[in-house]
Amino acid sequence: MSAETVRLLTPEIVLIAVAVAIFVAGAFADAPKWFRWIAGAGVALSAVALWMQHGAAVCSGPLTIDSLAYYGRWLALVLGALFVLLTARPLAGGGTPEYVGSLLLAIAGLMLVSGAGELVLMFVGLELISIPTYVLLYLGRRDAASQESAVKYFLLSILASAILLYGLGFLYGTTGSTELGEIHAALAGSRPALPDAGAVPVGFDMFARLALVLIFAGLGFKIAAAPFHFYAPDVYQGTTQANAALLSVVPKAAGMVALVRILVLAMPGLEAFAWKLALVMAVLTMTLGNFMALWQNNLRRLLAYSSIAHAGYMLIGLTVGLAPAIVRGSQDGVGALLFYLCVYALATVGAFAVLEYLGREDAPIDAVDELAGLGRARPLVAAAMSVFLFSLAGIPLLAGFWGKFALFLSALGVDPGGVSVRPWFVGLAIVGALNAAVAAAYYLRIVGVMFFRTPLAVPKAEGGMGPWLTFTVCAVLTLAIGAFPRPLLQAANDASRQSSVQRAAPDLPPVELAGRTGP
Amino acid sequence: MDTIKTLLILIPALPLAATLLTAVLGKRVLRRQSHWPTVLAIGLSCAASLVLVFQVQQGIHKAESEGPSPQVGYEKVVTLWTWAGVDGAYAYSTSEPARGFRIDVTLRADPLTAVMLAMVTLVSLLVAVYSIGYMHDDPGYWRFFSYIPLFVFSMTMLVSVSNFVLLYVFWEAVGLCSYLLIGFWFQKPAAAAAGKKAFLVNRIGDFGFALGLFLLWTTYGTLDFHDVKLAAGGEGTAATVVHHETEIVEDADQPGLVRAGVLGQTMLRDRALYVTGGVATAICLLLMLGACGKSAQFPLHVWLPDAMEGPTPVSALIHAATMVTAGVYMVTRCLPLFLASEVALQVVAAIGGFTALLAALTALTQTDLKRILAYSTISQLGYMFLGLGAVTLLSAAGAVAGMFHLFTHAFFKALLFLGAGSVMHAMGGVIDVRRFGGLRRLMPTTHWTFLFGCLALAGIVPFAGFWSKDLILAAVGEQAYSHALDPQTQRLYYLLYIAGLLTAFLTAFYTFRAFFLTFYGEERIPREAGHHAHESPRSMTVPLAILAVCALVVGAYFELTHGFAHFLEQAPPLAMIAAEQATAEAGAGLGQSAHQALSHWWVAVISSLIAAAGIALAALLYLGHPQRVERLTRTLDAGGLYRLSRGKFFFDEIYDLFVVRPLQAVASLSFLFDRTVIDRLVDGCGLMPKRIGAALRPLQNGMIQFYALAMVLGLLVLLGTLLTM
Repeated sequence: MSAETVRLLTPEIVLIAVAVAIFVAGAFADAPKWFRWIAGAGVALSAVALWMQHGAAVCSGPLTIDSLAYYGRWLALVLGALFVLLTARPLAGGGTPEYVGSLLLAIAGLMLVSGAGELVLMFVGLELISIPTYVLLYLGRRDAASQESAVKYFLLSILASAILLYGLGFLYGTTGSTELGEIHAALAGSRPALPDAGAVPVGFDMFARLALVLIFAGLGFKIAAAPFHFYAPDVYQGTTQANAALLSVVPKAAGMVALVRILVLAMPGLEAFAWKLALVMAVLTMTLGNFMALWQNNLRRLLAYSSIAHAGYMLIGLTVGLAPAIVRGSQDGVGALLFYLCVYALATVGAFAVLEYLGREDAPIDAVDELAGLGRARPLVAAAMSVFLFSLAGIPLLAGFWGKFALFLSALGVDPGGVSVRPWFVGLAIVGALNAAVAAAYYLRIVGVMFFRTPLAVPKAEGGMGPWLTFTVCAVLTLAIGAFPRPLLQAANDASRQSSVQRAAPDLPPVELAGRTGP
Repeated sequence: MDTIKTLLILIPALPLAATLLTAVLGKRVLRRQSHWPTVLAIGLSCAASLVLVFQVQQGIHKAESEGPSPQVGYEKVVTLWTWAGVDGAYAYSTSEPARGFRIDVTLRADPLTAVMLAMVTLVSLLVAVYSIGYMHDDPGYWRFFSYIPLFVFSMTMLVSVSNFVLLYVFWEAVGLCSYLLIGFWFQKPAAAAAGKKAFLVNRIGDFGFALGLFLLWTTYGTLDFHDVKLAAGGEGTAATVVHHETEIVEDADQPGLVRAGVLGQTMLRDRALYVTGGVATAICLLLMLGACGKSAQFPLHVWLPDAMEGPTPVSALIHAATMVTAGVYMVTRCLPLFLASEVALQVVAAIGGFTALLAALTALTQTDLKRILAYSTISQLGYMFLGLGAVTLLSAAGAVAGMFHLFTHAFFKALLFLGAGSVMHAMGGVIDVRRFGGLRRLMPTTHWTFLFGCLALAGIVPFAGFWSKDLILAAVGEQAYSHALDPQTQRLYYLLYIAGLLTAFLTAFYTFRAFFLTFYGEERIPREAGHHAHESPRSMTVPLAILAVCALVVGAYFELTHGFAHFLEQAPPLAMIAAEQATAEAGAGLGQSAHQALSHWWVAVISSLIAAAGIALAALLYLGHPQRVERLTRTLDAGGLYRLSRGKFFFDEIYDLFVVRPLQAVASLSFLFDRTVIDRLVDGCGLMPKRIGAALRPLQNGMIQFYALAMVLGLLVLLGTLLTM
C-alpha cells in the first residue's frame, strides 16, 4: 500500500478512524452529546481532507479517483453532516456511540463505493454500508415493530448481497479480472462487432449478460427498484425517521453510483440488451411506487413508496446512459441521474427531518392526518415541508423540477441514428411525466392537509435544534438549486462525462493497491 | 453616464419608486400623507422631462450646425440590459439558419418621445396635486396614490421604449392601471363592470396589436425600432441575410454589421427596404386595431364613456389626456410603416373622421357632464387620427397637426375634466347636468377655468384648440383638393373634410350646451351637495388655473413661433417625410408654400365661423326659454334622431345582442360539455391509478418469505428475458 493510496483514501480513513475511536470510547464513557460533536468533527475533518485532495492527478485503477468519485464523496459527506445533525437527540435506550459510529461507517462505505474501480473494493464498500445499517436499524427504536423491520432488512439484504456477489463472480469469470478498466478492455476487445439484435447470445456474450442481470438485481435491492423493493415500506414504517431517511438515501446513492461504474462505464458491448432491461425496470419501478403511494396514510410508508418511485425516475437516466446512442441530446443521461440523486436526497432527508422535528421520542409522527393544520400552527415548518414535497413532485422553480427536467430531456435527446429505438425513449419520458402527475396527487394531499385542514392536535415539536437545522439547510439548498441549477448540473454532467472519457482512454497511471486480486 | 441616459432612466424610475414606497408604507405609515412620494416623484420626473426636451433641442441644434449628415432626424438610443435572448429562435425553413430573438431594454430620446414625456409628466403632476383635494376623505387614499405613479411609470416607459415588445408590455401596463383605476371604487357594481368592460374591449384591440407584432417579426426579423450594431462575427448567424431581414455593412471606418431596426436609420434612409402590398397593409391594420382599442376609436370606442365611473382625476389623466393618446403616439411612431400602404392610411383617416362625427353626435344629448366630455374625447381623438391619416410621402403636416392636437388637447381636456370634477365635488357626487345649474356665482374659479377649456375645445381664437384643430382641417383639406390623388381617394378626403367641419360645429354646440346648463340659468343645487356646495379647495383650483393658462397660450405660442412643428419634425418618422419632400421638391422645383398659407387662412376663417355658429346656437337654446329646447327635442324625436343620439347609437345594445350573447351561449355550452364529458373523463383517469394501486396492495403482505420469493421470481423473469432477446 503506497503512500499515494493512503493519501487518496485519507477522507475515508479519517471517518473510519473516528468511528472506531467512538466505538472504543463508548465502552468507557457515557456522554452521548460528546459523541455527536466528535462525529461532526470527523465529518468536517474528512471534508478538509477531501478538499485538500482536489487538484491531485485523476487516477484510474483499483482506486478510481475521478470526477464521479469526487461527486459521490462530496454527496456522502454532505449527507453525513446532515445525518449527524438529524440524529442529535440521544437514544432513549443508550447505545449512542454505536449508533454514531455506525453512521460514520456507512458514510465511509458510500465514499468508498464512489471511488471504487475494482469489484472487490466496491463490494466491500457496499457491505460497509449494509452492515452498520443493520446496527442502526436495531438501535433506532427498541420495540417489536422496529426489531421486525431490522430482521426483514437484514435477511433480504443478505439475499441481495448474495445475488450481487454471484453476478460479480460471473463478471470475473467472463473477463478474468476484477478491475473495471480491464473488464472494460476485455469486453470491448474480445468481440469483433456488435451481435445482431435478434441473435441468440451464446458463450461469452451469454455470461456477460448473466452477470449484468445479476448485478442489476443485486444493486436493484440497494436502490429499491421493483421487484426488489418489497422491504422498503415495511422497514421504513417500522423504524425511526432518521433511519428511514438514511435508508432512502445512502444505499440508493451507493447503488446508483455502482450501477453507473459497472454497467455504464465498464460493460460495453451490451447496448442491444442493457438499456431494455433498465427501461423495463424504470417504468415498473416508478409506476409501482407511485400507484402504491396513493393509498398510504402512514407518512414513512408513503415516503418509502415515493423513494421507490424516485429510483424509477433515476433509472431513466441510467437507461439513457446505457442506450446505444449515436447522437445524444444536450443532456447527458448519467449526469441527469447524478443531479437527480442530489436533489432527491436533499428533499427526502429534509422531509424526514421535518417529521423528526415535529415528533416526540415516544410518539413519532406517523399518519398524514397528524400534520393537519400545521400551516397555521407552525407556518415555517409547514413551509419547509411544502418545499420538500413540491420539490419531490417536481414543481417548477424548485430543485426537483430541474432534476426531472434533466432526466426527461436526456431521454428525449437519444437519437440512435438508423435504429428505431427512439420511440421507446420518447415513451419513457412520457411515462415519466405521467408518473410525475400521479405523484403530485399524494404529495399535494399532504400539503393540502397541512394548510387547509383544522388541526387535530398541534404537534409538540420537540425535535430540538438538530432536526430543525437539518431541514432548514435542506430547504435552503433546495430553493437555491431551484433558483440556480447550473453549477450542480454542471458538476453532475462533468462527473459523468469525464469518467466516461477516461474509461475510453485508460492511459492514466494506475495506483497500486496492496494485495491486488486478479491475474 | 451622459445626461440624456440619466434623464431617460430617472423619468420612469422615480414614479416607480413612489409606487413601491406608497404601496408598502401607504396603508400603515403614510396614510393621509400618501400623496407626498407621488407628487414629489412626478414633479421631479416632470422637471427631468423638461430638461430632456432642452437636451434634445440642443442635440438637434448641434447636428444642424455640423452640417448635413446622413442621420434622419434626431434620435439617441440607450440600451440598458438584455431582457431576453434566445439563440436560433426561429427559422423559416430547414435550409436557412435560425436567427436569434433578443429583447433589449432600450430607451430612446427623440423629439416625439420628449414631447410625450413632457406632456404626460406635466399633466400628471397637475392632476396629482388636484387629487390631494379631490380624494381627501376617500378610504382608499393611499391606494389611489400608489396607482397614479404606477400609471405614470408605465406611460413614460410606453413612450420612451425603443422596441415593439416593450411597447406592448407597457401598452398592457397602462391598460392594467386603467382597469385598476376605473374600478377604483370596486364596491360600486357599475365601476367594477366598467373596469371589466374597458379591459375586455381593450383585449380585442390588443389581440390585433399582438398579431401585428408577430407579422412584423416574421417580416422584418426584428422588433427593435432602432438599428443594432453587431460585433463582427458575433451573435451566431446574425451576419447572414435571411429573407426580408436587412443587414447592411456599414462604412469602412465603422466595421461590423448593422441589423436594421423596423424604424431605424437604415430603413428610414432607404424606404425601398419596407415591404409593401398586402403584408404592409395587414401589419398597419392590425396595429391600427390596437390603436382603436386604446384610443377608443370606432368600433372599439364603447369602453371610454363607461370608464367615467372612475374617480374624476383618473378620467382627466388617463381617459382624456394621456393613456388614450397612446394609440395616436403609436401610429405616429409607425408612420414609416403606414406610408408603405396607402390603404392603411386611408383607413386611419376614415376611422378618425367617422369616429369624430359619431362621438360628437352622441355627445349632443348626453346629460352626464363627464360623459359629454368622454364623447368629446373620443371625438377629438378621432380628429388626431384624421390628421395622421392625411399624411403623405410629401407632407408630414397631418402628423404634426395630429400630434399638436394631442398636445393641446391634453391640457384643455384635463382642464375640463378637472373642472367637471370640481363641480361634482361641490355637488356631492351628482354629475347630471339636469340637476344643477347657475353655478357661476357659487364657483367662480371653476366657472372661468371651465370657460377657458370650453373655448379651447370649441376652437375659438386664440385658445389652444383652435390652432391644432385648424392644422388638422387644413391638412385634410389639402388632401381633399390635392391633384396628386386619384378622384376616388380625393372624394374620401373631401367627405372627411366635411365631416371634420361638421364635427367642429357640433363640438362648439355641445360644449357650450354643457357649459350653459352647468353655470348659467337659475341656481339649482341638488340635495346630495350638503355642506360641500362651495368653491373647491386650493389644491384643486390652482391646477385648474395653471391648466387654464396653458389652454390659452400653448396653442398660440407654439404655432406662432413654429416651435412645436420644427421640434417635432426632427423626430425620425417625420424627418423621413421631410427628407422625401425635399428630394421631391428639388426634383420638381415647385414652391407650394404660398398656396399652403392661403388655404390655411381659409380653413381658419371657415372653422372659426362654424364654431361661433355652434356657440351661438347653444346660447340661443340654453340661455333662453327651456320650452325652446323641449320643442326642438320633440320635433327631432319624431324622426327618432334624438333617441338615436341619446341612446349612443345603441352600440352597447348591438354589441350585447350580436357579440356578448352569442359568446355567452357558446360559453355555457362549453361549460356544460366540460362538466358532463371532460370532467367525467378526467375523474375516471384520476381514479385509475388508485384502482391499480388497490389491485397491487395484496402483494405487500408483510411476509418476509414472500418478499424473498418475489425477489427471486423477479430475478428469474429477468434472466428469462436473456433467452428471448
